[in-house]
Amino acid sequence: MTTRAEFLDRVRREMGKTRGLFPAESAPRLARPQEAADAVRRQLVERWPHALDRFKTEFERIAGVFHRVSRLDEVPAVLARIAAERGVREIIAWDPAALGWDARAALEPHGLAVRLAPAGGDEADRRRHRDDAARAPLGLTGVDWALAETGTLILASGPGRPRSTSLLPETHVAVFGPSALLETLEQVGMMLEARHADPALAGSGGAINFITGPSRTADIELTLTRGVHGPKEVHVVFVDGPGGAA
Amino acid sequence: MSDPILATPFPRRAGAALKDDFLQEALTIATTKFIDLRKEAFATLPEGDALRDRARAIKEATLQRLDHYLGQLADNVERLGGHVHWAATAQEAREIVLRLCRDRGVKMAVKSKSMATEEIHLNEALEHAGVTPIETDLGEYIIQLAHERPSHIIAPAIHKTKGQVADLFSRELGGQFAADPEVLTAVARRELRQKFLQADMGITGANFAVADTGTLVLVTNEGNGRMVTSLPHIHVAVMGMEKVIPSMTDLMVFLAILARSATGQKLSSYTTLVRGPRRPGELEGPEELHLILMDNGRVRQIAGTLREALYCLRCGACLNVCPVYRQIGGHAYGYTYPGPIGILLTAMLEGDRSVKDLAHASSLCGACKDVCPVRIDIPRMLIELREHLDRDKIAPWPERALFGAARRLMESPALFHASARIGRWLQRPFVSAGRVRRFPLLGGWTATRDLPAVASRTFTERWKDLR
Repeated sequence: MTTRAEFLDRVRREMGKTRGLFPAESAPRLARPQEAADAVRRQLVERWPHALDRFKTEFERIAGVFHRVSRLDEVPAVLARIAAERGVREIIAWDPAALGWDARAALEPHGLAVRLAPAGGDEADRRRHRDDAARAPLGLTGVDWALAETGTLILASGPGRPRSTSLLPETHVAVFGPSALLETLEQVGMMLEARHADPALAGSGGAINFITGPSRTADIELTLTRGVHGPKEVHVVFVDGPGGAA
Repeated sequence: MSDPILATPFPRRAGAALKDDFLQEALTIATTKFIDLRKEAFATLPEGDALRDRARAIKEATLQRLDHYLGQLADNVERLGGHVHWAATAQEAREIVLRLCRDRGVKMAVKSKSMATEEIHLNEALEHAGVTPIETDLGEYIIQLAHERPSHIIAPAIHKTKGQVADLFSRELGGQFAADPEVLTAVARRELRQKFLQADMGITGANFAVADTGTLVLVTNEGNGRMVTSLPHIHVAVMGMEKVIPSMTDLMVFLAILARSATGQKLSSYTTLVRGPRRPGELEGPEELHLILMDNGRVRQIAGTLREALYCLRCGACLNVCPVYRQIGGHAYGYTYPGPIGILLTAMLEGDRSVKDLAHASSLCGACKDVCPVRIDIPRMLIELREHLDRDKIAPWPERALFGAARRLMESPALFHASARIGRWLQRPFVSAGRVRRFPLLGGWTATRDLPAVASRTFTERWKDLR
């Protein structure tokens, strides 16, 4: 088997033979990503309503369903309506610490059965959680960021915030507030650089998913079909007011 | 690996494709739609051209320090708890996967769409070793059930009708399914959902790998990439070594143009950033992550003719605009990678000899270069390939003899004038309406094209009178 040293030696040997290359640089990196990320956040304190308009337009363009409420305590009623319209009673949700509010306490009065993703556990918990996630028709999550220019939800995995909650159920509902909004992919890059540079966050979460609308395919005669593996529907409940859940 | 498709010479494969009416219609509809979607997507992105320049520069800058970035990637993947393997050949890459399967008792592996694993014919090797590979991209699943090969980089089953898919599913999965994409997609969802939950191993490629953070990036629309990297215990990613990029900042540049070039979307439905195996406290994600970095003919092109082909993002845009691909489709090319870039990648992986005919399956119109998100100069490399085929005596001898003779004629004014006179006399029995429609020994040319007849008077002859 080829070793790392052998492989890289071959690469270096070939690199040594090249000549007449045009000067090229990769994209310039920020010296202080955290400061840049903070600057973006400060700008968005003012600008988020514009970002939200753009988000809504783009999100609806890719078949996302957008809801908006002014306070967090209005969210359960919206969720109850979404569930009722789909004849759904079971929901799997992120852990309260990850979501920012307790979905079980808030939704059970509406007659919904909520299973919370445990924030850790052993192999038995793992199997139980997986069965729950595979069975649940509706998954409830927060987001880390919502990208306006493409209508994209960005979710980092971690304890209490499993990747499957936004993947296995037929309907995915994400709840977030103004502080999650970003305008451009470039800003997302800054946030990811800042996260990477932050020792407290660098190790967290084995996966970060960018979700741009429902799961889709056009593999049979180019006919667009939704929900091939992941959700058929993606909903956003945007919470304006204090206590935004993001 | 011997291949029944390649037993038929390329001109015959292409000829058969031209006579396939369904294929012709499917190709026209699909490629035209992809072209339109791409055009619209870039029309709303004023900075699109600048982003493409930047993407190209990033690829070149990465190649100029490739050893550094590969080392950094490996260090970071390992730091996150992943394992890195180095494969010089397709054979080695297959062996690494098979050994992992053997050591861990893997019986079934789910795969998300990956050209790298197509390239090394991993499925055959897995089956041979008693491991069941399940393709989970709907298009790949269809062609796996049909025992065929992908005919387009991003739409593998572009050549099949919904009726054919319905028959295939009914036969292979047991049932009676309507020829309705909605129904057929639901069938695949149900079938594959069970496989995702049962499989011991998930196998993927990688669209990018970020050296700075050790992140593998997968772009899919269906969500199968997410399933495969979330549910099984082991995740194996097979990646051509040129897919490494320096930073997250660079990644954003590529994400902005990749989906737009491929399907006209602003972003594909899912972009998954995989950062090592499951973390402490996480209930999901693989316990083991293995990254296989593959050479398989790539490294020698760092200083080779095909260097620029190492920029390729596998978006498929050059296929859709190619007048040859649009006529013959992907299968006629006979190898894993079809289309203009496919010819170059085939030469890279299989050697120049394999593209003896394919190197000429291009009109050199340059449409491929125009749409390429990283502006790969495909026509230039095709010409250089043709030159090498001649230089290394790989091109067939009549072709070399003919072009050799043409060169000698054009180098000598006397011979050139004489040839015009001889040509006029020789062509007489074969000319009709100013065209040569058949000529002894030139059947290969005149079967599909006319040869312009030598004029009754050459320009130099007329020039004498005019003066």
